[in-house]
This record gives sequence, C-alpha cells and structure tokens, in this order.
Amino acid sequence: MSSITLEHIHHSYKNNLTLRDFSYSFGKQNRVCIIGPSGCGKTSLLRLIAGLEIPQEGKVLIDGALVTENKNLIVPPHKRGIGFIFQDLALWPHMSVYENIAFGLHEQETNQIDQTVKRSLDFFGISDAIHKYPHQLSGGQKQMVAIARTLVLEPKVLLMDEPMANIDVQVKEQILIHLKTLQHLYGFTLLYVTHDHREAFEIGEEIVVMREGKIMAHGTKEEILKTKDSFTQSFIKI
Amino acid sequence: MARTLKYLLSGILGVLLLAPIALLLLQWIGDDGSLSFLNGKTLSLIGHSIAYSSIIALVATLIGAVCAFLLTQFHIRFKSFYTFVLLLPILISPYIFAVAWKDIFIAVGGEKVMDKSILELIFIHSLLFFPLAMVIIMSALSRISASLEESACMITSYPRAVFKIILPLIQPSIGLSFVLILIFSLSEFSVPAYLGINTFTTEIFTQFSAFYNTKLALSQSILMLSFSLMLMLSEVKILSDAPFFTVDMKGNRTRIHTLDKGKKWVYGFLNTFVFLALFLPLSALVYQSVFAQETFFIRAFDLIAPALVNSVILAFFGACAIVLIGLWSAWLKERGRYSLPNTILLVMFIVPSIVFGIAAIHFYNTPIGNFIYGSMLILIIGYVAHFGFIASRIIANGYKQLPPSLEEAALLMGISPLKCFRKVTFALLSPSLFAAFVLSFVLCIGELGMTIMLYPAGMELAGVKIYTIAANAPQALTDTMILINLGTVLFFIGFFAFGGKILFKRGAHE
Repeated sequence: MSSITLEHIHHSYKNNLTLRDFSYSFGKQNRVCIIGPSGCGKTSLLRLIAGLEIPQEGKVLIDGALVTENKNLIVPPHKRGIGFIFQDLALWPHMSVYENIAFGLHEQETNQIDQTVKRSLDFFGISDAIHKYPHQLSGGQKQMVAIARTLVLEPKVLLMDEPMANIDVQVKEQILIHLKTLQHLYGFTLLYVTHDHREAFEIGEEIVVMREGKIMAHGTKEEILKTKDSFTQSFIKI
Repeated sequence: MARTLKYLLSGILGVLLLAPIALLLLQWIGDDGSLSFLNGKTLSLIGHSIAYSSIIALVATLIGAVCAFLLTQFHIRFKSFYTFVLLLPILISPYIFAVAWKDIFIAVGGEKVMDKSILELIFIHSLLFFPLAMVIIMSALSRISASLEESACMITSYPRAVFKIILPLIQPSIGLSFVLILIFSLSEFSVPAYLGINTFTTEIFTQFSAFYNTKLALSQSILMLSFSLMLMLSEVKILSDAPFFTVDMKGNRTRIHTLDKGKKWVYGFLNTFVFLALFLPLSALVYQSVFAQETFFIRAFDLIAPALVNSVILAFFGACAIVLIGLWSAWLKERGRYSLPNTILLVMFIVPSIVFGIAAIHFYNTPIGNFIYGSMLILIIGYVAHFGFIASRIIANGYKQLPPSLEEAALLMGISPLKCFRKVTFALLSPSLFAAFVLSFVLCIGELGMTIMLYPAGMELAGVKIYTIAANAPQALTDTMILINLGTVLFFIGFFAFGGKILFKRGAHE
C-alpha cells in the first residue's frame, strides 16, 4: 500500500482557484473514493498527484519521496509508478487493443510483451478483442482495455477519474466487482473520483467529500453517514 | 420547396461550373490529335514541375507542421500575433511576394542570381504555402483530446508520446497538407511567370495566350486536371469535410506545455519565419518604393487607382456570390443531407485556375454566353468555382456547431421557416458567414491566374495591371504599385477584423 501526501496545495485552473491550502494524506486505506459536486477540485487533485498539473504552491509526496514542490515537477508523470484512467478512457484510436496495452511495455522483450498482453486480456475475458480497434469495442470492453493497459505496468497507485460516467448500471456493477478483485490481487492504492455517492459507498473503504477545493468530511462509509457537516448531509441525501 | 432548392443549386453549379469542364473534356476527346501533347518536351516539363512542386510541398508541410506544433502544444507569448502574422501570407496574392523577393534576390546577388532559378521558385512557394499546412495541422492538433496525450505521458516520455501518439493521429492532416500544396504549387501561375521560369502552368498559358495553340493548351489542361483530380481522390474523405476551414478552432482541450530549455530555439524558429514570410518581403517593397532614385507614388497611384477600385468592386460582388452559394450548399449538406453541391464545389476547388480559365473561355465565348463572357460575371463565376468550397466549408462547420433543436424549437412554435432562418440560423451563423465573406473577398482581390485569362476587354484590374506593366516599367514603379495594392488589401483585412470584433462582441452582449 502506498501513501500519497499533499501539503498546503494552492492550485488554480483558468484563473479559478480549485484547491486552497489543501493538505491530506491518502493511503490509510486501500480504496479511497473522492466525491463532491462538479468543479469542487476532484479532478485537479488527481491530476496534481499524477504530475499532469503543477500547483502554484505546496508539496506532493509519494511514499515519502517529494515528486512536486511549488511550481517544480521533480518526478515526471511516467516515473511516479502511477496509473491513470481518464473519464473518456483515452484509448488511442489508431492502435489496436494489443498495441494499446503493449505501448507501455516497450522496455520488455517482444515475447514477454506478447505473454503479458495475452495474460492480461485473458484475465479480463476480452481475448477475442485483441486485434480490434477502440471504435469496434463495447463500452464495457473499452473500460476493461483501459484498466488492463494501466495495470500491466503494475502501478503502486491507480487513479480513476469518473471512469464509469458513460456506462450502463449492469456493466458498471460488474466492473466495480472486478476492480475490487484486482485491487486485492495487485495491492495498489486506488483513488477513485466520482460524483455519485452510491458508487463511492460501493467501492470505497475511505470516502473523502470535497467542496470548493476543501475537504468537508472524510472517513469510512459509516462515519460519513453519521457526519454532522450539513453540506455532506445534503450531498449524499442523508 | 426544400426539394426545389436542392436540385436548383445542383443545376446552377452543374451548368455554370461543371459544364465548361465537361465541354473541355469533350473537345479533347473529339480532337484527332488528342494525345499529340504526349511528347518528350511536355512530359519532361510536367515531370520537372511535379518534382519542384513535390519539394515545395515537402518543405512547406514540414515548416507548417513545426509552426503548428509549437503554437498548439506550447505556451508561447503573443501566440495570437504569431498565428495571425504567419497565416497572413496565404491571404496575400503570390505575385506580390514574387516581386518583393525578386528585389531581394537582385539586391543580394545582382541580376545574375535572377537567371530563372528553380531554387527561387521553391523558396518563394515554400514560404507562400506553409501557412496552409500550418492551419490544417493546427486544426488537427486542436482536435486531439488532451487525455490521449496525457495517458501516454503517464506511461512514457513526452518525445515518445509525440512520435507514437500525436504524429500518427495528425498524419492524415499532414498527408492532406502535402497533397493540397502539391496541387496548388503545381497550378500556381503568378510566381513562375513573374520570375520567368517555365513550368507546366506557364506553358499552358503561353500556348493558349501567346501562341494561340488552343489544341495543345487544351490537351495540356486535361493532363493537369487529371493529375490534380487523381491526387485529390487520395484525400477526398478528409477534404470533403475540411474541418480546418472553421471560425472556431478551439476543438478539444489540448495539453499546453511550458517552454524551459528550448525557449530561445522555439522563438528563434517562429521569428525567423515571421521575418522571412512577411517582414522581409514587405520591407523590401517599402525600401524600393521609398528609397529609389526616383519616387513613383503619384504615377503609380494614377495608374493603379482605377484598377484597384474595379478590383475591390469585383471582389465585393465575388465574395457576396461565393457566400450565397456557400450558404446554400452548406445548408443542403448539414440540414438536407444532400452533398452533391458540396462535391461539385470540392472538385472545382481542385481544378487549377488556369484550366478553368481555358474551359470558361471555350464555354462562354459563344453568342449565347457572351453576356457572361463580356462582363465581370465570368470572373464572378470563376471565383465561385475556385473559392466556393472554402466558404461552403466555413459555413457548414458553423452549422455543425448549431444543434438542429434550436431551429426545431422555433418551428414547433409556429414560426415560419424563413423567419426561423432569419431570426435563429442567420443570427447564430453570422460569425461564420462574415469570416467566409472576408476570406472570399481577400482571395478574390489577390487571384491572378484565372483573372488574367478571363477579365473582360476594357476592364482594368489591379493584379493584371501590375503584371502587364511590370515587364517594361521601372522596378520601383512596380514595387510602388504593389505596395499600394497590398496596403489596400491589408486595410480591408484590418477593417473587417476590427468591424467583426465590434459587430460580434455587441452581438454576444445582446
């Protein structure tokens, strides 16, 4: 289990302050869900941890190592041992499923790449889609490929930014079950952003509720349900 | 009503634009010696011309791609200024640059350097056409979602993400830029004509206008037409939608990188091309006009003023006709799902202007068509043929951004289709219509290849006047006339840009 610490982060996007003096340490639990309304800074938080954005002020540490400090990117995104699943999944449209998954394995031998990709596709039950292109896949298959592409690199931390936004309920439930199994198997720390509190309660061992760049409440599902914070109460409709 | 409008436009475009080309083909087929032009001299000339144009297309695409990449991917100070200035050469007539660069070459290397050098043609054409590649590739880059690049950056280094993700995704646009520049460079008339370089286009013009060898000119035109259309077919899928011809270039959220180490190289590169593509040639014209032994401002003004007034009037009517046809075609494609007019305009866009010039003379120089041939109507038809596709795509891409529900909501309220068009569609489309008008106006003023073949007797036009006078007039007089012409074009660009800003800013508040 990895720890991610953010200290006194100030961050703005297009002149709007998305995170203000934000400090928090993730990693006490394996699966953390961050919930909050649109524009509360959830996505910015994930992007800062990934190194895709740089804060105006503050520090980001992963497993105690400083990766970002103020406006300096000390460790680039691809060297942080982090996987990121985007809301639109970001499957490269010009590459087949095989090529999408193999892209990050370029330092391995060809035989080894073949084996890793095939094993991963078998695990997700989408072996028959190996030569298909993203536009030929169903919504659920796309999800699986995006997760497989990230997990073959064995990240310490997996960041997911509202990945189920465009998926129907049945497939969503299946994927969430799959995700829990994967987390047990690989042992990564999962940070999962959503605006749906039911989804968060389903997957999260720890829930963080955000509003206007600040944490309003955090804790287990039971702790959140007992919170006295009025915003959290209204957001999750207690 | 909609059905009538559908077939009416196809009929108009078919008769006015396609019929001259069809007649050209029929005449060629009916000609006994139709393959007589396939001799060593002609084949060698077209071979050379294709070779020069390929080099030009390669160089211009490369420069355009680098400029587009830098301006889209990095945080550049004065980005709008760089974009505007680097795109400006495409709005200015090529012969203006030919005259300016001739001055520079002579100043640098004397008359000898101007000895019909192919390198000069390649150099000038590359600088003229790279903005086309730039605008096409910028549009492609702005349509790549940032998450595609970011997901690669989570796995690998930025240079590898560029080569493996971004480049393959914009590769169709790079290919299209290459093909379009190849076609345009091959059919561009004014620069090789002014530099005295014999290319396939100037050869067709010479055979037709100087030697009156109509048969040969006709056969050569068919060869050039076939080559252009063949090239177009390879890119027809992406070209028919032409997403780069749009007012709104915002596209997807793109990832902007901060420049660290390579800052001076990036600014150095951009500044070099701003200097070469615009400031140096303009400075040369100003220097030649102002510091020549004899100043010709009054004489040049007297000579060019009437022609310039005619050119502005012609360009105004040309632009109005182009926007009308463009709107009609765009409406049919986007709302009527009928794309025949758009296809006709696309084909005509690719037809070299000199080929359409020859075809139009054959078709309209008859007792029935003489009212067109003997008036500015023939030039307006020519401009619609050549630039109609651009306007059609700008307006159609504007249409694409308007959800049909906006019009449907008005129609369900019982508003008549005409009022709905006037109050809803036209109001929302006005930025695209305005952009299409401005671009058409500027392109019409600068067009020379077709204008020189089709201008009616007794009508003076700025480009033709300068081109014909340049052979015998002192260089300073030509430069001064060019400068006045260019000043007028830049005045109108500025006027429209300023007017558009005020107009649409006010519209947005309302």
